[in-house]
Amino acid sequence: MSSHSTPPTDGELGSSAAADGDDHLLTVHGLETVFRTEEGTVTAVDDVDLHLDQGEIVGLVGESGAGKSATAESILRLIESPGEIAGGTVEYDGRDVLEMDESRLREFRGTDAGMVFQDPTGTLNPTMTVGRQVAEAVRSTDPSLSGAEVRERSVAIMERVGIPNAGSRYDEYPHQFSGGQKQRIVFGIAIASEPDLLVADEPTTALDVTIQAQILDLLVELRDEFGMSVLFITHDLGVVREVCDRVLVMYAGSVVESGAVESMFAEPRHPYTKGLLASNPGLDAEAVEGQGGAPDRLRVIEGSMPDLTGAFSGCKYADRCPGATEDCRRAHPGLERVDLDGTDREVACYRHEAIDDIEYTYDHEPRTLSWRAEDERAGASAEATPGVPDAGGGRAGDDPVLSATGLKKHFETGNLLDDLLGRGETVRAVDGIDLGIDAGETLGLVGESGCGKSTAARAILQLHEPTDGTVVYQGREITGSTKAELREIRRDLQVVFQNPQSSLNPRRTVGQIVRRPMKLHGLADADERRERARELITEVGLDERHLDRRPGDLSGGQQQRVAVARALAVNPEVIVLDEPVSGLDVSIQAQILNLLSDLQEDLGLSYLFISHNLSVIEHICDRVAVMYLGELVERGTTAEVFDPPFNPYTEALLSAIPGRVETEDRIVLEGDVPDPSNVPSGCRFHPRCPHKIGDVCETEKPAVHDPGDGHGIKCHLLREEYRDRVDWEEI
Amino acid sequence: MSLARYAARRLVFLVGTLFGASVITFALVNVLPGDVAVMILGTSGSQEQVAVLRQELGLNQPVYIRYIDWIAGALQGDLGRSLRFGDPVAALIAQRFPASAFLAFSALTIAVLVAIPLGVVAAVEQNTWKDFLTSVAAFAGISLPNFFWGMLLILLIASYASLLPPSGYVSPFVDPAAAVAHVLLPASALGFSLMAHITRMTRSSLIEELRSGYIELAKMKGLSDRRIVFRHALRNAFLPVLTVIGFQLGFLFGGIIIIEQLFAYPGLGRLAFNALLSRDAPLIQGSVLTIAVVFMTSNLVVDLLYAVIDPRVTSGGGS
Repeated sequence: MSSHSTPPTDGELGSSAAADGDDHLLTVHGLETVFRTEEGTVTAVDDVDLHLDQGEIVGLVGESGAGKSATAESILRLIESPGEIAGGTVEYDGRDVLEMDESRLREFRGTDAGMVFQDPTGTLNPTMTVGRQVAEAVRSTDPSLSGAEVRERSVAIMERVGIPNAGSRYDEYPHQFSGGQKQRIVFGIAIASEPDLLVADEPTTALDVTIQAQILDLLVELRDEFGMSVLFITHDLGVVREVCDRVLVMYAGSVVESGAVESMFAEPRHPYTKGLLASNPGLDAEAVEGQGGAPDRLRVIEGSMPDLTGAFSGCKYADRCPGATEDCRRAHPGLERVDLDGTDREVACYRHEAIDDIEYTYDHEPRTLSWRAEDERAGASAEATPGVPDAGGGRAGDDPVLSATGLKKHFETGNLLDDLLGRGETVRAVDGIDLGIDAGETLGLVGESGCGKSTAARAILQLHEPTDGTVVYQGREITGSTKAELREIRRDLQVVFQNPQSSLNPRRTVGQIVRRPMKLHGLADADERRERARELITEVGLDERHLDRRPGDLSGGQQQRVAVARALAVNPEVIVLDEPVSGLDVSIQAQILNLLSDLQEDLGLSYLFISHNLSVIEHICDRVAVMYLGELVERGTTAEVFDPPFNPYTEALLSAIPGRVETEDRIVLEGDVPDPSNVPSGCRFHPRCPHKIGDVCETEKPAVHDPGDGHGIKCHLLREEYRDRVDWEEI
Repeated sequence: MSLARYAARRLVFLVGTLFGASVITFALVNVLPGDVAVMILGTSGSQEQVAVLRQELGLNQPVYIRYIDWIAGALQGDLGRSLRFGDPVAALIAQRFPASAFLAFSALTIAVLVAIPLGVVAAVEQNTWKDFLTSVAAFAGISLPNFFWGMLLILLIASYASLLPPSGYVSPFVDPAAAVAHVLLPASALGFSLMAHITRMTRSSLIEELRSGYIELAKMKGLSDRRIVFRHALRNAFLPVLTVIGFQLGFLFGGIIIIEQLFAYPGLGRLAFNALLSRDAPLIQGSVLTIAVVFMTSNLVVDLLYAVIDPRVTSGGGS
């Protein structure tokens, strides 16, 4: 059940659909969509059945390659060559969409159905004003309208979806709107015809968590107002839990389980659903609480989705399923109806009765890299035991390995001409932050996009020269080091980026990629480097056979493992991880997070972990720093910062995570992620702050409030004179 | 930033580039081997005569003084006198310029008018025989030099079929019909490779645009295919095409020199070519500078068009 509101029942609504006996608005039966590629025919959608009732939001969830988008696009006949709908029916209002002629199809798309896409920037035409783009949809619905009427209706729609000053912004272009606003406009275009069916394909995936909360609210509001049925495609189980009434889980082109959302979270019957829930940090689903496995590790689904080229004989999930038997590999299980506490459930698994016995475990044998132990012994270190952060190496006991004080990085915009005329603006990407990472710990740096977290990391690594402030590594200041000195230091400070596709050279083999840093730093001879590369690649969970492959032959998760192996190659002390799992599917994300935890334990590494995903941060980090507009607003241990949050911004961020909080308590931050070239006075968060006290927030910069245990909170609410204004119960 | 401010800014850059171009033009001519005075007097001139002439021409002065004299004159419209004809260079250029401008403009017009529809058809009907034929023609257009097409056209259409005159120029202000008849062959030969480039770019860029998200949104609005292609995709697809046009204009102007020879077309290209053969330094400098100015101005126009079509260009960082 959605926690927002119950969907209107069929009786309360007009029954434009539902004329054919059952009350389904949309019935998909036996849908099959194939993509004909050079390697063979890929069956992206394999015999999918689904239906949508009036006014309900149905989630279609799964990892990339599951066939969710292909299913949605097939329903609207948006599949383009080399894709092709090979069979099935899509019945809408008594007619088969797949059989419609061109003009009826256009009418169906123009008036009966609307669609919202993942990336709002690509979805709007960059060279047409947003007003005209909305107007096109309005005119297409009712060609008899006059120009003035079209404009009036379009402005009203823009206002409805929450664009302030819609009238005056009508003639602006998409790039003049923020990402959230663009997605609102796409929603406006989709609902311009007041359609009965809305297909939303990952509509919040490209947005910040605070903006996602706004957009999800809008979606539910629009559903309630227009009584639409929504097919909601997402990879995010939290979002499903938040907005959907029913959910279908897809795997490798097939629906493997479907049912009511809460019941599915409480009692998954398909092993894949169960594994997906277990892989998700911070979902606190009942079904995955309190089961076995290593502490601090996620229970993961091993492997990755199978290649869908060619025919399958057995269950497609059998290879990754911990409970697969010989029967599972013999024939593909069909969806079977199960009655669970009065709610309908369909599950495609021979062994779903035994789901409680099918458990995901995660084991890891502690080990270290052979030469690392030698290095540490040679380094006259008192302690070289793997797994224990070594306190030797010449640095004092309690000092952080890597620390930054008063770090600033400003960028000047504009060119030479602007500079001469004094017109350039200063972007205060990082504006005076203090950070310290202790040996063997993980420090999380979290914030919305544009808050400066990646710039901060680059400034710490001296990839960007800091504008001001100092960075100290192992007691030695590295700001202002010479190039040669930096080279030495960089051996110890490695980095893993978000997108391995762009950070790994596609022309080199994995072996060359992993050996290259050793070669550049003159470590070991050629034979030794080969030996080390073999050891590294197994350490990150790949095989020696991967050494001869090129990045293009590997999956996203495997590529990220290679990036980690490359970072490990030079035996670093600290690794900066810049959104290392953001581009990955949930099950792969869990694998990488476990890998990182294992490596830290085995090798005593310190991590600076940058992410916008608070659940991931909460799972993996020992300490957290929350960043807003170039400044830290709170820092402390993960428990201090998150449980419960004190800073209003931290609170809002946490509350925006879908699927965790009762929605009545949800804080939806208004407005957009702000612009670092135009920082607000006083507390930078005051224009969006739900707990703003008054003038003091606008005029005075808040000081860091430190209770004395290293937990620092920057907020006026903690000042003596305002304490009584705070309802601590509420926070 | 408004379009006007963007234009003003580009103009400032244009002045800078022009200064660079004038220096290079002047330098090139002045490092050419052969003494101008000797060239003028021929082998019969005595040492004294050469010395006197050098004095008169100012060749004894340091090169930067000569440059300043030249550029100061050029700014006032005085490009010196042609050594060969004795007439003012500016007048000679002004006399030939309209013919060449007409030729280049016709070539560009023919190229765009033929290439864009071809590119659209090839993109929309991708992988059909129409697309295949277009690709083959475009490939031929890019691979073979323009004088080859010029000779082919003269042979087939002028000599063999006698449909159009093989040479000469008539001003479009005097007799428009005859002017078009005369310019059609040289302009086609000149514009052929540009046409091929535009076709290829239109095709690939339109295919790319037709795959973008806003096309799916347009389909979901229930718009017709025609409207989707022309209102949505083509405008965006035209941006890279415009870049190619701007880039290829240089080759077009270069081609003028050869094509005008081939078609005995009395334009700037022939003037420059002959000036080069006779080491007529002031005339070479003047012609090259003129071509440079025209090239840069047309690139400025391309940039401004780009800004008109793509609103992101004038908004500072967001391009």
